[in-house]
Amino acid sequence: MLLCLYAFNVFMPFLMMIFNSFKTVRDLFLYPFSFPLRPETNNFIEAWKRARLANGYKNSLIVSLSTLVSVIALTSMFAYAISKHEFCLRRLLFSYIMLGLALPARLAVVPLFLLLNSLGLTDTLFGLIILFTAINLPFSIFILKNFMDTIPNELIEAAKIDGGSPFQIYRKIILPLCKPAISIVGIVTFVNVWNDFFFPLIFINDKSKAPVTLGISIFFGEYGNEWPLLFAALTLAMMPSLVLYAFLSRQLIAGMTQGAIK
Amino acid sequence: MKTKIKKKEKKYILLFIIPTLILYTLFIIYPLFSSLALSFYSWPGAGKPTFVGLRNFRMLFVGPFSKELFNAFFHNVYFFILTSLFELGIGFFIAVMLATKIKRISIFKTIIYIPNMIPIILVGFMWSLFLNPQIGFVNQLLRAIGLKNLAKPWLGDPNLALTVIILVNVWRSIGFYVLVLLAAIQNIPLDLIEAAYMDGASNWQLIRKVIFPLTLPTFRTLLILLFIWSFNTFELIYAMVGVQAGPFRSTDVLGTLFYRTAFGGLGSAVVDMGLGAAVTVFIFCIVMPLSILYVVYKEKRESER
Repeated sequence: MLLCLYAFNVFMPFLMMIFNSFKTVRDLFLYPFSFPLRPETNNFIEAWKRARLANGYKNSLIVSLSTLVSVIALTSMFAYAISKHEFCLRRLLFSYIMLGLALPARLAVVPLFLLLNSLGLTDTLFGLIILFTAINLPFSIFILKNFMDTIPNELIEAAKIDGGSPFQIYRKIILPLCKPAISIVGIVTFVNVWNDFFFPLIFINDKSKAPVTLGISIFFGEYGNEWPLLFAALTLAMMPSLVLYAFLSRQLIAGMTQGAIK
Repeated sequence: MKTKIKKKEKKYILLFIIPTLILYTLFIIYPLFSSLALSFYSWPGAGKPTFVGLRNFRMLFVGPFSKELFNAFFHNVYFFILTSLFELGIGFFIAVMLATKIKRISIFKTIIYIPNMIPIILVGFMWSLFLNPQIGFVNQLLRAIGLKNLAKPWLGDPNLALTVIILVNVWRSIGFYVLVLLAAIQNIPLDLIEAAYMDGASNWQLIRKVIFPLTLPTFRTLLILLFIWSFNTFELIYAMVGVQAGPFRSTDVLGTLFYRTAFGGLGSAVVDMGLGAAVTVFIFCIVMPLSILYVVYKEKRESER
């Protein structure tokens, strides 16, 4: 009884995939449903060049990776300090950061624009990186701090007796132990930054600095009616996300649903 | 037993905390207050901002912009209601199906989340092509199966456009809700389900009386998230109909309205960052209470672990 409805379930993403393959057809009008008789691979090459996809990938990668690294570095230190050391402001600091979880950064985009402008960071990848790092701090701290709370204190005590400085303890004990939490944070942060369109739209004007999301948008604006090229560009642009998903689906799903499940 | 702080440790701790704090305060906390402050000014880009008190708000709520504002607002509400119905409603049933122990069900789990991975903006562009009246497969499919009359200009019809966009959103996002609901369903102890079957419950009764009530808390959390996201929606509209939210502003939402007022675009009467800030204050007031509720729930659940 339920089985027939699964077909629809599968239908949806496959629809996406099958029809993405239309990209190589010159005459979409004549052969709407079938795979093209003479696949026009040239479309892909054209789209790659004209949509400046190499550039887009490069920029997206730089921004996403840098954000990922900064977020993990900063928040793991912060979470360690908050989780494992007693001082009076501990709870207050944590609540302060948690406030950030509830505040959608998008709503402050006007002052953010002015702020980055005054720092001379608009239209730079560095500015984007700083911005994305700040935005992703609360979630990461939330995950890491809660994870660190479960690390038994005896381990740290032992390391201290052995004469380790906090920094050494951090590096040699905390970080390796937190690998699962760090990978969740890493994945979620990377994907969120890669997929973002809003902030690049507002802050980046120079086409050479556009990440893939913005690049495709520009491309669509410039080549409005050249359907095959548009489809090809979309396929190429979606590739990294799909490939990433193919390799990391389990971790990705776990990470992205962290916010809602327990 | 926690350790006590020694002087040298204190230095390290400060080192660990300060960079994060600075970044956070400077780029998250400060801009939000600044946004509130800015909403009391008028600043058309060039020149200096001038203090105008409540004028921006007056313009938005009772003045020349009120029609656009409330138009957008009701679209957001419509977006929320429809999206919730579809994503949670259909999502729930898909989750129930996925929870059964049929062989290799987990493949579907992986498949249904795929659209979630793609940047929303790309999903929007892709579907804008699919829905194109001439070359999009939607209309071609309809024509092929003989429903020629239904082949409409989906995104060009003021009555249909928003609903169509919502459907695309459902297509893209439903995976998330399915997976969360699935986890909730799988948390139900098997004995309960077995007991229900032994008492002679049919599948449908099982769903209605056992599964659904036990997953209600999850629905609550998801609704909150959906609400927040519905009011923040922007990319999909931008990709599918542009920031002008055509046709005739029938797809306008607060996000696009904000973008037009703060940064301009063809056909917007006024470009005023102060006015834009006022729009964000409005969105903020709507979304904030629920956001806080959500974080409070999260905290509560973490502490219950």
